[in-house]
Amino acid sequence: MNSNIWLLSFADSVAIATTLILAALGALFTERAGVLNLGIEGMLLTSAITSFLVADSTGSVWAGMLLGIVLGAVLAGIHALLTVVLRANQIVSGLALVIFGTGLANFLGKPAEGKTIKTTIEPLSFGPLSDIPGIGPVVFGQDPVTYAALLIAVVASWFLFRTRAGLEVRATGDDPATVDSQGLSVATIRIRYTLLGGALVGFGGAFHMLAQSAAWHLEATTNGVGWIALSLVVFAGWRPIRLIFGAILFGFTLQLPFTLQAEQITFIPSALMPMLPYLATLIALIALSRPSSRNILGAPKALGIPFVRDER
Amino acid sequence: MPAPFRIVFEQRAETPKYLSALVPLISVLAALVAGALFLTATGYSATDTYKNMLDDGFLTYRGITETLGLSTVLICTGIAAAFSFQMNLYNIGGEGQLYLGMIGGAWAGLALGPHLPSFVMIPLVLIIGSFAGAVWIFVPAFVRARLGTSEIVTTLLLTYVASSLLKHFINTPDSFFRAKNVAFPQGRNVADSAALSPIGDTRLYPTFFVVVALALFLYWLVKKTEFGYRIQVIADSPRAAHYAGVSANRTTMSVMLLSGALAGLGGATLIVGPFARLDQGITLLGYGYAGIVVAALARNNFAGIIVSGILFAGLRVGGEKLQISTDTPKHIGVMMQGAILLFALGGEAFRRYKIRAVRMKAVAQ
Repeated sequence: MNSNIWLLSFADSVAIATTLILAALGALFTERAGVLNLGIEGMLLTSAITSFLVADSTGSVWAGMLLGIVLGAVLAGIHALLTVVLRANQIVSGLALVIFGTGLANFLGKPAEGKTIKTTIEPLSFGPLSDIPGIGPVVFGQDPVTYAALLIAVVASWFLFRTRAGLEVRATGDDPATVDSQGLSVATIRIRYTLLGGALVGFGGAFHMLAQSAAWHLEATTNGVGWIALSLVVFAGWRPIRLIFGAILFGFTLQLPFTLQAEQITFIPSALMPMLPYLATLIALIALSRPSSRNILGAPKALGIPFVRDER
Repeated sequence: MPAPFRIVFEQRAETPKYLSALVPLISVLAALVAGALFLTATGYSATDTYKNMLDDGFLTYRGITETLGLSTVLICTGIAAAFSFQMNLYNIGGEGQLYLGMIGGAWAGLALGPHLPSFVMIPLVLIIGSFAGAVWIFVPAFVRARLGTSEIVTTLLLTYVASSLLKHFINTPDSFFRAKNVAFPQGRNVADSAALSPIGDTRLYPTFFVVVALALFLYWLVKKTEFGYRIQVIADSPRAAHYAGVSANRTTMSVMLLSGALAGLGGATLIVGPFARLDQGITLLGYGYAGIVVAALARNNFAGIIVSGILFAGLRVGGEKLQISTDTPKHIGVMMQGAILLFALGGEAFRRYKIRAVRMKAVAQ
């Protein structure tokens, strides 16, 4: 067995995990405020193509990144308008966003079909540290966004569990009536964190495009990563730190088929390999919903339920 | 300075009939207007695009028959989604169950087709396809009923698994489903007895009428029977249903299994109809996902799904031809589906609530 391939594949898992961390953190913030946004997959795609087109025409990766973030927030804004202001069904609105976003991304991406981007996000170099055999490439060979994603996750954890504003977010997701009786606006908090969540998802989509894919391919760019991010939030029990470990685990599973192929390990037919991460996620979700493990999960209690003051 | 007025939502006791008809209509129009603005902004001609879509989707003989043909599978996945949505169960894996319906139907057509006559084979392909769809949703249905695992994510994840499975059956060299002696991997055609011919020189198959009849039957089932009543009770109040002796678990299971079977039926209609073999091109078409939109636009009304199914089929058929007749990317069709649904969701608020602006003073008093 070639240990180099395995090390490289671990480094790759971390890169995939970055997209997952950003997208799942976006979903986590949204859901902690009590809003379920299933539109992640559509938002990722739209942000990905936007960042691609902007980076391609301006030559600046960071300009692309910024526009990707903005587009993520704009699509989340549609969801917030429909579900928080107009009280539409959150599930249907999220699904509509997936379909709309997929169509929009493919529409905008038509001229860019098969094109490769010239400038991509380069891994940081820590000089000799990155060359340490074994841990070097994994710990010191990632790109700046990956380190930023980890930092955001840690800050998010501190924010949610150690600050007053974080408490308000969690309370809005658990017991909006009490938040309302404290004179806070449930709608404002929900809109704010749905937008923040959208921006994070947009960040993830832009990163996925600019650091990993680097070529726009119709209908195959994110390939279900948005849905895996949503399962990851459940898997992590709505906790940012647990989410990091979950993302690395999921990232490794997503990477595994390619590694096994490179190693020519063929006890599983190659066409069946791509189903592994989805099956693993499914099994994890089922295992976690056993009654004995449900209380350690801690889903926001008012998740997906529109808040209507008059009905109290 | 605080705003001088605020928006107040008043729940309507009863929705006026005219609003129920008017709101979806205005939503579709608003989406078309927004689409026109978007097309103009991105440098395409809105009038050309719409005119071509309307002609190629609805107004020509070729177009409308093709639209009705495509609507067959969309109505299937639409009623599949609606059947679970109306009970607040969100089976969004209709796409995967549709693949399984194709796999099951193709298996029947290949394995049993050579030995059985057409009048046995056609129903058999449809039944086995539906059964395969139900099998594919069994695990999500079971864990939802027993453990409360959210069916939204589980049904969706299985779609990706189904897609790999389908590709495996076509790409594996000695696969039962694969055409022999063809360099490019593709599915083997089912026996003649398992395939219907289209009506006349169209691409419309008799299955269209079967599916429309099925939608009307479900409309009757839900509105007029005890089973339909039970579904309504559980959807409205699971606790009340429990005290009334209705088993929510069993109803959850049966509703989800039937939902999967209906999506599977959609896949099977493709086998007896336009495809006649397993085809991995299906994974790019998104008929299962479109069913969710079809159902949501019809607000899970089975009779309404026939209308919205035909509308969306027309959008797609018209959209597909766009790249031939104009330079507009065909994905405007899918985008418009999403936009129409988003507008319809927004419009829903005006149907359910009286929305008024009131002066702040009036609220304070």
